[in-house]
Amino acid sequence: MLEIKGLHASVKGQQILKGVDLSVKPGEVHAIMGPNGSGKSTLAHVIAGRPGYDITAGSVLYKGQDLLAMTPELRAREGVFLAFQYPVEIPGVSNVYFLKAALNAIRKHRGQSELDAMDFLALVKEKAKLVDIDESLVKRPVNEGFSGGEKKRNEIFQMAILDPQLAVLDETDSGLDIDALRVVAAGVNQLRSPERAMVLVTHYQRLLDYIVPDVVHVLLDGRIVKSGDKELARELEARGYEWLEAPAAR
Amino acid sequence: MRIGKAADNSRNYSQCDSLLLGDQCGAHTFPYIEVLNSTAQMEHEASTSKIGEDQLFYFQQRGVSPEDAVSMIVNGFCKEVFKELPMEFAVEAQKLLGVSLEGSVG
Repeated sequence: MLEIKGLHASVKGQQILKGVDLSVKPGEVHAIMGPNGSGKSTLAHVIAGRPGYDITAGSVLYKGQDLLAMTPELRAREGVFLAFQYPVEIPGVSNVYFLKAALNAIRKHRGQSELDAMDFLALVKEKAKLVDIDESLVKRPVNEGFSGGEKKRNEIFQMAILDPQLAVLDETDSGLDIDALRVVAAGVNQLRSPERAMVLVTHYQRLLDYIVPDVVHVLLDGRIVKSGDKELARELEARGYEWLEAPAAR
Repeated sequence: MRIGKAADNSRNYSQCDSLLLGDQCGAHTFPYIEVLNSTAQMEHEASTSKIGEDQLFYFQQRGVSPEDAVSMIVNGFCKEVFKELPMEFAVEAQKLLGVSLEGSVG
């Protein structure tokens, strides 16, 4: 589903990704771990097509298509979803209105008919239960005045509505207390399916106690230096990242 | 804003919010206040914000085109005022906005 080969990316002339290789198949959940500044969020942003990154080498194939040649909105319509680490506030635009516009843009792209208000609200009701999100939150302006936990929950709620094929979760666990983490993880687990792939970007092993990944990768200094199963995450928690020091840049 | 001599204990609140589209523009606000009665209460507030790249990207990441995103952000910004207008003006204003926004995002 996702094939990343030798990906190099820089921001304002500074090289962040230095040759990332990653292959994700449908149904798999991959965790990407690494210390601050290792390039985890950059990788998530490059997949979603955020402006400001220069791709200096490498390729990204998504469902066999050249992902890097696609606009961000086209990627989204093709089923790429990014759960933001810092979701943005949109004053005056209600969450439901925003989501309806998003869902109908995606449905139109898929050749499906647009959902009318009644069907859409029924869908909202159903998915709101999944992440235990308050319905008043759904009617408020997008993320405005939401607590940190509410914002993260809202991201998972949006993911449930938009039904993506590839979901990238950028530090969805950061800033969550243990109860909120459980709710968010339960929501994510319910969205696991044989057709959907997920990439979890995280700092801590904690999230992986609740969402058990198929593969764990360690990103260090812009490269994936080690991959393994969930035991690797436990080892990282116990030993830190130092023992995996990146090979000297050549 | 002018408060006349006989307007005892009058109150006024004026708010002036600007939303900038693109990086080639600016906003200047000149509130003019003339008060002839010292019992009056006057308040003035002004703010300037702009459509951020972050906001646009958030819409795009959810599948919404930049053109539709700008229109939704601007309409959200103006909603507070529009909902105070009589129906026919509100409809007119919304149409005007739609027209003037065409081609503003490249």
